[in-house]
Amino acid sequence: MMSANLVELTRRRGAASTPTAVELLASAVAERGALTDEDIRAVAARTGLPEAAVHGVATFYDDLRAPRGARHVRVCTGTACFAATAGTHVEALAEGLGVAPGERTADGGLSLAETVCLGFCHSSPAIRDGETIDAGPGVLQRVLAGAATSAPEPPARSILPVPVLTEPGDWSGFRRAVTLRSSGDLLAEVREADLRGRGGAGFPAGRKWEFAATVPAERRYVVANGDEGDPGSYIDKHLMERSPALLLEGMALAGYAIGASEGFVLVRSEYPASRPALEAAAREARAAGLLGTDILGSGFDFDVTVVESAGSYVVGEETALLACLEGLRGTVSARPPFPAEHGLFGMPTVVNNVETLCSVPYIAQHGAGAYRALSPGESAGSKLVCFNERFARPGVVEVPFGIRVRELCDEVAGGLADGGGLKAVQIGGPLGGILPAGLLDTPFDFAPLAAEGCMVGHGSIIGFDEATDMRELARHLLRFGADESCGKCFPCRIGLERAHAMVAADAPVDRERLEALLETLELGSLCAHGGGMPAPIRSLIAHFPQELGLA
Amino acid sequence: MTRLTIDGVEVEVAPGTTVLQAARAAGRDIPTLCFDERLAPFGACRVCLVGVQDAPGPIASCTTACREGMVVDTQAPAARRVAGAVVELVLSELAAPPAEHTELAAVARQFGVGEPRWPGAVHPEREDLRHPYLAFQHGLCISCGRCVRACDEIQGAFALTATGRGFTANVAAGIDAGFRESACVSCGACADTCPTDAIAEVSLLALAESATI
Ligand SMILES: Cc1cc2nc3c(=O)[nH]c(=O)nc-3n(C[C@H](O)[C@H](O)[C@H](O)COP(=O)(O)O)c2cc1C
Ligand code: SF4
Ligand code: SF4
Ligand code: FES
Repeated sequence: MMSANLVELTRRRGAASTPTAVELLASAVAERGALTDEDIRAVAARTGLPEAAVHGVATFYDDLRAPRGARHVRVCTGTACFAATAGTHVEALAEGLGVAPGERTADGGLSLAETVCLGFCHSSPAIRDGETIDAGPGVLQRVLAGAATSAPEPPARSILPVPVLTEPGDWSGFRRAVTLRSSGDLLAEVREADLRGRGGAGFPAGRKWEFAATVPAERRYVVANGDEGDPGSYIDKHLMERSPALLLEGMALAGYAIGASEGFVLVRSEYPASRPALEAAAREARAAGLLGTDILGSGFDFDVTVVESAGSYVVGEETALLACLEGLRGTVSARPPFPAEHGLFGMPTVVNNVETLCSVPYIAQHGAGAYRALSPGESAGSKLVCFNERFARPGVVEVPFGIRVRELCDEVAGGLADGGGLKAVQIGGPLGGILPAGLLDTPFDFAPLAAEGCMVGHGSIIGFDEATDMRELARHLLRFGADESCGKCFPCRIGLERAHAMVAADAPVDRERLEALLETLELGSLCAHGGGMPAPIRSLIAHFPQELGLA
Repeated sequence: MTRLTIDGVEVEVAPGTTVLQAARAAGRDIPTLCFDERLAPFGACRVCLVGVQDAPGPIASCTTACREGMVVDTQAPAARRVAGAVVELVLSELAAPPAEHTELAAVARQFGVGEPRWPGAVHPEREDLRHPYLAFQHGLCISCGRCVRACDEIQGAFALTATGRGFTANVAAGIDAGFRESACVSCGACADTCPTDAIAEVSLLALAESATI
């Protein structure tokens, strides 16, 4: 929870303060297993933040709250892992290890923590043992035997004639723009390309950039949102780890277009490989003269800093993301002012999703027309989707808009691995509605999905097989919603706790009371977390009323 | 100047005025919990929701600036229904009803909130009486953030912080070792603004207790 003054205080310190208070606390936990008052005081002294504020930070993020043993095991409680095991892997692991989630053994040798989505949804269930992320068949036995092995990364491919987002970047769009075009020209091109944000809200990127470019200010920033908190999604993970140069190129282009010389990537800590990959790519780019000062003799300066979060879904929301970058609690702030006007350290800031920014190099290289033509459907460009482990061919796939969800599930992903029928899919993250099997002919695009109470969101597609218990799914989603609520606004802070209790109770669910609660969340919440969590529950009420046990 | 209509009455306000300020200036009552006119608007409680013509849903009047031609309905049914439900939720998180003289109790009366429709977990009682005249009953805290902001914005002491997240959110002084171990200067700004008496001046608390006996 931030007051205007605390924000001003951090802003006066300016951008020079990485590592952030969040990162400093995270390193202390990693080194010593838990935070002491001394750690809090030391971080306060180092960052210039008040001690109370640092204590507030230490109680907000998952990674800072759970104690760590010499061996720290993290088990994924994300929706893809739920779809695979109905959650049984969590209990089995806790029992096998002899330690409950959130706890550490008395001798400090072992600790277990729940974590929401390790990004190995193509191979659920996933468990991180120390630095090793293991996943898929046999994972429990291996971890219990102390023999975890690194799970293979998911395959990635494009079904477009020429891949755009599944090829690593080569900086050619940036070279062309920065040497041949004005920033205004590039901005106009991005506007014309109709590129809509891929982080969930679908806001036109060009309009956001234009706004940030025209607000008078001494500095501007570009922030890549690499928080990818949606359980079941590993799209941005793929981009950050396997095409980091493409993201840096997109950020540099955004910087050039809006007149920013500094960029930040906020990466979630659940992806330990993302930050090193981005930093290596940034070093290479600096060596090649593509980041730094007077890039390619253009007079344009730009560089990128990578910052890690510490475990919070809502930090993906843009105002919370900026608070996390400033080292503060990841709570949401009311908008306006929008970040494009008043963002990082109070300066105009473009916050874009990783995939949005990765789409820009193609636009800079080939133009708006070519970009729009990538999809025959209503919306412009291409979209990365990813499938969970239930499918025969899970992985990251670049697809055009307008393709039917059925084609995505049956042909692109090869149907369910066990040959059985799909019961339903959840598209675009936990705030997305659930599409029952009977509606799979819906086109994959913003408007048609919205008409079914669903969304493109960030593009994850989680298939549920016939064995899925829909009341359990509702309980799972509401548990996630309540655990992750930032706690700032009252409807979400209390309402998700109550909605979870209603569904988790061993009793029929009073439909009228549940719907009144959902309305309060939808219409009352400050951000789309509380506002969006009712969407999948409404789908379940509409399509699976019997299974929900409504009364 | 910005012209708008509030509950059928045309009003004129200076640019940047919020809908809440404009409505209150026009004599319309909009209940609030996280708002304190001495502090920057926060938008957390959502009790100040009002209807605005052509808006997709109710808006928080405390954080919304007036726009030219806006048509505001402070009694819009959806806004009142949702705001009332929020107050009901807030009462349901407390182990006991708030003391009659508190702002929370007054707002609950305004909405006529009865038995909560969504009972459930309540905040554990935890009392901190280490300070000579500031008492902190953590179980009464509804995380409105007013004390934290008053400490920062009025006093500049930065002695308080929000803690935790979700339903377990609360407030702490310093590193949660009580007011005396924090940067608190004993000004009482937090107690003065608290709408539930979670933080209260000990003398006033004793007075209030004797009054209810
Ligand atoms: C609860 C919540 C979580 C979010 N998580 C993410 C996220 O992980 N990644 C992301 O890019 N956007 C996320 N967003 C959306 C951001 O607020 C913001 O709209 C987005 O980063 C803007 O970039 P875009 O326009 O390129 O999509 C989230 C929003 C909410 C309300
Ligand atoms: S809706 Fe939930 S996550 Fe969003 S501001 Fe409110 S409490 Fe925070
Ligand atoms: S102690 Fe009082 S003023 Fe502070 S957040 Fe809690 S209820 Fe609000
Ligand atoms: S007074 Fe507006 S949200 Fe609390």
